[in-house]
Amino acid sequence: MNRKFFLSSLAALLLTAPAFAATAFKGATIHPVSGPPIENGVLVVDGGKIVAVGTEVPDGAEVVDVSGKHLYPGFIETMAHLGLTEISAVRATNDFAEIGEVNSDLRAEVAWNADSRLLPVAVSGGILTTHIAMEGGVFTGTSAVMSLNGWNWEDMTIRAGVGMHMRYPAVGGDSEEDDEETREKALKTINETLDRAATYQKARDGGGDVDYDARLEGLIPVLNGDMPLYIHVSERNQIVSALDWAADRDLKDIVLFAGPDVQYVAERVAKENVPVILNSVHVTPKRRWESYDMPFVAAAKLHEAGVKFAIAGEGEGNARNLPFEAATAAAYGLPKEVALRSITLSPAEIVGVADRVGSLEVGKDATMMLTNGDPLEIMTQIERVWIGGREVDLGQDPQRQLYEKYNNRPRP
Amino acid sequence: MTTMKNVITTRLSLLLAVLLATAPLAASTPRDTSAWMNETPEQPAVVLVQGATVWTSGPDGILENADVLIKAGKISKVGQGLKAPQDAVVIDGTGKHVTPGLIDAHSHSAIIGGVNEFSNVTTAEVRIADVVNSDAIAIYRELAGGLTVANQLHGSANSIGGQNAVMKLRWGATPEEMMFKGAPEGIKFALGENPKQSNFFNRENPRYPTTRAGVERSIRERFEAARDYQKAWEAYEKDGSEVPPRRDLQLEAMVEIMTGERLVHAHSYRADEIIMLARVGEEFGFTIASYQHVLEGYKVADEIAAVNAGASTFSDWWAYKYEVVDAIPHNGAIMWDRGVVVSFNSDSDELSRRMNTEAAKAVRYGGVPEDEALKFVTLNPAIQLGIDEWVGSLEAGKDADFVVWSGHPLSTYTVCEQTWIDGRKYFDLEDDRQAREDLDAERLALMEKVRAASESDSDDSEEGSPSELPAYLTAQSHDEFCRAHDDDRTR
Repeated sequence: MNRKFFLSSLAALLLTAPAFAATAFKGATIHPVSGPPIENGVLVVDGGKIVAVGTEVPDGAEVVDVSGKHLYPGFIETMAHLGLTEISAVRATNDFAEIGEVNSDLRAEVAWNADSRLLPVAVSGGILTTHIAMEGGVFTGTSAVMSLNGWNWEDMTIRAGVGMHMRYPAVGGDSEEDDEETREKALKTINETLDRAATYQKARDGGGDVDYDARLEGLIPVLNGDMPLYIHVSERNQIVSALDWAADRDLKDIVLFAGPDVQYVAERVAKENVPVILNSVHVTPKRRWESYDMPFVAAAKLHEAGVKFAIAGEGEGNARNLPFEAATAAAYGLPKEVALRSITLSPAEIVGVADRVGSLEVGKDATMMLTNGDPLEIMTQIERVWIGGREVDLGQDPQRQLYEKYNNRPRP
Repeated sequence: MTTMKNVITTRLSLLLAVLLATAPLAASTPRDTSAWMNETPEQPAVVLVQGATVWTSGPDGILENADVLIKAGKISKVGQGLKAPQDAVVIDGTGKHVTPGLIDAHSHSAIIGGVNEFSNVTTAEVRIADVVNSDAIAIYRELAGGLTVANQLHGSANSIGGQNAVMKLRWGATPEEMMFKGAPEGIKFALGENPKQSNFFNRENPRYPTTRAGVERSIRERFEAARDYQKAWEAYEKDGSEVPPRRDLQLEAMVEIMTGERLVHAHSYRADEIIMLARVGEEFGFTIASYQHVLEGYKVADEIAAVNAGASTFSDWWAYKYEVVDAIPHNGAIMWDRGVVVSFNSDSDELSRRMNTEAAKAVRYGGVPEDEALKFVTLNPAIQLGIDEWVGSLEAGKDADFVVWSGHPLSTYTVCEQTWIDGRKYFDLEDDRQAREDLDAERLALMEKVRAASESDSDDSEEGSPSELPAYLTAQSHDEFCRAHDDDRTR
């Protein structure tokens, strides 16, 4: 590691201005997530990347003493409309739900508002990366992973085309939306659209004279297994039906975005190797007879069954409460380290950005936070934040600015 | 006697549920999902909690290795080395934390519809007490999160929404028995976007008001009318004229506000409307027991403190509508720092289950000391609801409403283990777990009987074998009583 470090820092010295010299954060307990915590550790950042994680300060590095503090990777909000909405009740600020049934040609990242006031607030809460997806129609478009620091949607996009998103119709009597006609119609749209995409591809690849159809083009990677299909589901029967449907269509690369009901089919989901994004811990049980802690234990049940899963929170204005949802899962049976992983490395793996974020490992972005304790505890303070090695001024948080302003209002 | 009846009704209803295939079995089931199936928990003559960390929310602050002695449903003593008779119920508090029962100053959890009487500009005459659903499953779930008192409020569709009801969460009791005896009467006001119908204006059937100025007038007009009404009654009582004034239940409620018999709980967001109502209060001689939500309260904290109003806010919600664009999570801390009695409320069947960690947000945002932060969900809402002489802190003479926690009550890793009201245990983690297993076993046994019966009665053989999931597992039922206000948080 040291040799590697010296080579890379030497390269950095040769190639960049002195301002980019390596910075060694020394003395904190480092929580890499990918491995056990390192007490009194040293984390070295160079050129925005983590170049060393250990206990020794390399020669020539600028040392930042962070003794007694804790370094964690930034949290990842795994399913959100962050950046796609400002104030949900004000229609003009919403860009997360298009009309029409087949929106497979839409790209979420192009509607990302880089200056949304919600972003710095989320950053203050340790949410440094988010996966965003649209929700209008049956096929809702492709999702993207966004960094929460930058100048515009292009330089904030960590990965575009993460997956195609599809809302599977409600099945079973528990939903008001459910009626057979609506379900049949939605399924028909789904199946016919995919069939058309397959035919379209065949004609196109066969050299046929086919008009370009962006919606069908968008679905071809899904049919070919080049892009995962994210299936949005809520209830148990719907989840089972969606899994059956995907198997029937021979779709192998699927991800479930599912409510806590997914715990009831955890064994099957694990056996079929389907990753799950759990849609919130802080929700009420759907049904009167369910135990009060049913949503709280969902993550633990997934973990026990061996499901690969991430926890998604409320997103938007409440995105900053994601770590506390993970903590509730831990209070109700999920091992603490798995709870932390479910909002850092696990989501990074599921949405395909584990080479960049999700843990504190050599070669990854220095997207991390400095805290005075366990960041899954509400009473812990997040003191400093870096995204891609650049420190974010937490004073930019408009809520902190309002706090400063009114806290300093002269008293009567 | 009741035990026998309970067993029979439990079995009957289970059988019915199975036959109708509407009650599928999941991982677990709460002990009884209908309040009326639960007996009133017994009230031991003496209960002693021993060796716990006791958060009194009173002058004694936080006591380490302390005891709480309870006699006949009241707190007798809080201190160290307390003695109890041999037959006392003793709770080993080693490693545990004990707090007062949590209080939610803004709830709709136990209302059967009727949250909003939208039809008129003001509806001071309607009463939540008439539409309490004591069988709402939310009550049991809230008990499982340490909540013991909830203020059932009307919604915010109109500027004067109606009369609220403060209740103790006595799961299994009737609506009347759940009412908090001695709690002052109250009334819900609402300001801003909701009463002016910003987000749901009906063009075909418009209703006044549609501006904040109109909201002020709609409230002030009622007080003006009430003042005349009061004068008319005073004149009648003084002169003894033959015909009394016609009784008006709306104006009667408004008069009660002016005479201090009815507490105002005012849904509000922006600084301007907060000040506006404070001035209306000064003019008509009432204080505002609680501004509800009051998300811009931090901008006018001194003004709120000056009129002795309370503030019951969300810990950190914002950005869901325009009037909360400037909401900040430090709101509670700033108002507290400037002398306002501050509480955090839920307004949600979901959030109401974890008010203890909501209190932790007053520590996170603005640095309120931990014991003061806990008061945001114990003593302070009790003061705002006018019930602090009975609840809100663990002090001798108060009701034995308390919670036993697995650890630090503001920690996200802590779970509620026991919830007591009036010295009766309404929630117990171990009992809940055990009851789930018992119910599951009973249900499975009944299923087997039904299966056997249907196999012998019919030529149609059952699909699948007993080792497979029974059919009722795939059936689902919709519970129309379960969700009043929080569909968005049910996934």
